[in-house]
Amino acid sequence: MTATTEVSSPDRGHKPRSGGGSSPSRHVDPTRRQQALAAWMLALPFTLLFLAFTLGPVLASFGMSFTDMRRADIRSPFAVQFVGLDNYVKLIEDPVFRKVTVNTLLYLVLGVPLTMALALGVAVLLNRIVRFKGFFRVGYYLPVVTSIVAVSVVWKYLYRDNGGVFNTMLSWVGLDGPAWLDSTTLALPSLIVMAAWRNFGTLMIIFLAGLQTIPKEMNEAAEVDGATGWGRFRYITLPMLRPVLLFGAVITGIGYLQFFEEAFVMTKGGPLDSTRSVTYFTFDQFGFGNFGYAAAASYLLFLAVVLLTFVQFRLLGERDDKPSKRQAKKAEQARKEALS
Amino acid sequence: MNRSRKPAIRRPLVAMTTAALALTMTLGACGRDEGGGAAEGQGEAISEGKASGSIEVWAMGTEGDVLGDFVSDFSDANPDADVKVTAIPWEAAHDKIANAIASGETPDVTLVGTTWMGEFAESGGIDPTPEGLVDEADFFEGAWDSTEVGGTSYGVPWYVETRVLYYRTDLAEKAGWDEPPASWDELKQFATDLQDKAGVEYGISLPAGGGGSWQTFMPFAWSNGASLTNEDGTEYTIDSPEMTEALEYYKSFFDDGQSSTALLDAGELESGFADGTFGSFISGPWHTGLVEDAGVKEDQYAVVPLPGKDSAPGTSFTGGGDLAVFSDSDNKDGAWKFVQWLSEPETQQAFYDEVGDLPAVKSAWDTGELADDPQLQIFGQQLESALAPPAVPTWEEVAAAVDSEIEKATKGDSDPADAVSAMQKQAASIGTGL
Repeated sequence: MTATTEVSSPDRGHKPRSGGGSSPSRHVDPTRRQQALAAWMLALPFTLLFLAFTLGPVLASFGMSFTDMRRADIRSPFAVQFVGLDNYVKLIEDPVFRKVTVNTLLYLVLGVPLTMALALGVAVLLNRIVRFKGFFRVGYYLPVVTSIVAVSVVWKYLYRDNGGVFNTMLSWVGLDGPAWLDSTTLALPSLIVMAAWRNFGTLMIIFLAGLQTIPKEMNEAAEVDGATGWGRFRYITLPMLRPVLLFGAVITGIGYLQFFEEAFVMTKGGPLDSTRSVTYFTFDQFGFGNFGYAAAASYLLFLAVVLLTFVQFRLLGERDDKPSKRQAKKAEQARKEALS
Repeated sequence: MNRSRKPAIRRPLVAMTTAALALTMTLGACGRDEGGGAAEGQGEAISEGKASGSIEVWAMGTEGDVLGDFVSDFSDANPDADVKVTAIPWEAAHDKIANAIASGETPDVTLVGTTWMGEFAESGGIDPTPEGLVDEADFFEGAWDSTEVGGTSYGVPWYVETRVLYYRTDLAEKAGWDEPPASWDELKQFATDLQDKAGVEYGISLPAGGGGSWQTFMPFAWSNGASLTNEDGTEYTIDSPEMTEALEYYKSFFDDGQSSTALLDAGELESGFADGTFGSFISGPWHTGLVEDAGVKEDQYAVVPLPGKDSAPGTSFTGGGDLAVFSDSDNKDGAWKFVQWLSEPETQQAFYDEVGDLPAVKSAWDTGELADDPQLQIFGQQLESALAPPAVPTWEEVAAAVDSEIEKATKGDSDPADAVSAMQKQAASIGTGL
């Protein structure tokens, strides 16, 4: 909302001048027409590519999700049956799809807070230290730029039952570590821990940038007023970071909803489907050649992403202007009443 | 204000109109042709005489690398024919063939993994084998079956592989076994003795689940008389007492701690076989090289045919590669003649000498190294009693369902009878796709 008004305001400034000048005579300025033509010409290559390779396939796959298209139909893609919402109904009834939906939600509700907490914690600490800041920043960011497959392969060995690093370390203190990735209860959390370790670097950089925009004076003033460290974090840092936190929650959330590579490399979706995600399910269905069914599954995921983003905007985004506006209004009303 | 907002409203409108258009186009053109590729007769016999014209061939892996030089004999005998071999990697092969079929821009001949035959035949992309091109009886039965989709053959088996029992002879002797196990009861006892008397951690390594575990489980079921489909391949017949009994037997190895339920990493099986963690396992011919690389000496292990339930020999799984000719090929006559040449016993034997692929033609095993090497003879013997999965387009999906039910049974999540009926239920709902 704020974005539209900002964009339109300079335009509004122009309008009286150009609109007022041209409206009596319906004369079209030839230079403007030429400019428009040039603009279209320049935009054409992108537009065509976008239509052919982005919008086209997106619409085609959406259409496909309402048909029973299978791989054997590729020679005559239009000779398929239109099945309406059958694919979607079948998905909701499919016990495997239900299971992978629960798994994906687990990835989301466990993964996002963990990743954000890690990132925020490290960002706050990095914001305090003066020396070696660059070193730590690069160090924590490094996993993000490392190939996800390489990371997964290495972690697979860390988690190994016999001779894995974690279990070896546990054995030093006399504990017998479990088979992390072969347990239906531990495999999914194990993957989340690894994913959080790999992903928090991006958020850390963003949070760090956010922290540096908080004016020092505010913290100093609060300190003078006797606020504790936790109090300053809770009532100054967190509220000031809200827009940044929202951004972080949205991109991390979308990432976790599409959880795939880690499970693909480390557990193959097992044991007993306990780490299989919706994306993995869709991948399997495409592999089996059930194109219509797979397309429907991916549109359900898309819907989930849209919903999640909407919910996050509601929870984290609008809360900070709406109530404050309302409060401001109330306060003003109260003042007026007091005055009268 | 007004002006700047307008496009914002119009844009989704345009998108929606386009979407609606796309949808109507899909709708308008819908309706599936009845029948499809399968259930047609064999192709017409090819002409007499020599092959001519250009023959483009796709082959994967080692076969693709070697075939180019290997065809010189064919070129000598058919001077007018020009064979061009393109090597493509196995990982990309399936999609490449599927895309070629979809676009109609295909080569003439291709190597096809046996489990893909159903799908490509059903899509109408590959041609039925011409009448009289080869004699079905020359090939191993399981290998030939992999080319038959809905009763019609769509290609010729090229090479085969089958699964046998690998075991550590030195450890078996320590456990008091001079002879390999020959029945289910003996195999079970064998695994127990290897653990109790020879100190191995797991008597046998069987996959507890995960991709492809059906290839190890099905031999037990087949040996017990179970079948995946009926004779015509039109209906699944998974839910049977024989299948349940086989799964109960398979599960017992996990319940009794004779096989690990953990997912093995690449290389873990071979190194475990070398250091005595695993006493035995079931796999194909490629493992002879792998276990020797891992440090198992040739006199430390042996391969034997899979034990049957009682005294009868066990039935194993067979896979491999078939040769198929594309429907869109411009030179089908030449292409089939090339396929015919590759399936002659002498060519098959020469190809074994070149790359070590086991010949699909039985008579190729009668002479040369294949006849003399005792280890190879085991594979030859097992091939006489080996089955292929049904060649239906949906097999991979059914196999995934079977894999996941096997895992539920071995890990105690469901009991074998329920697992087997769940396999049947899922397979029936997936259908054969024919």
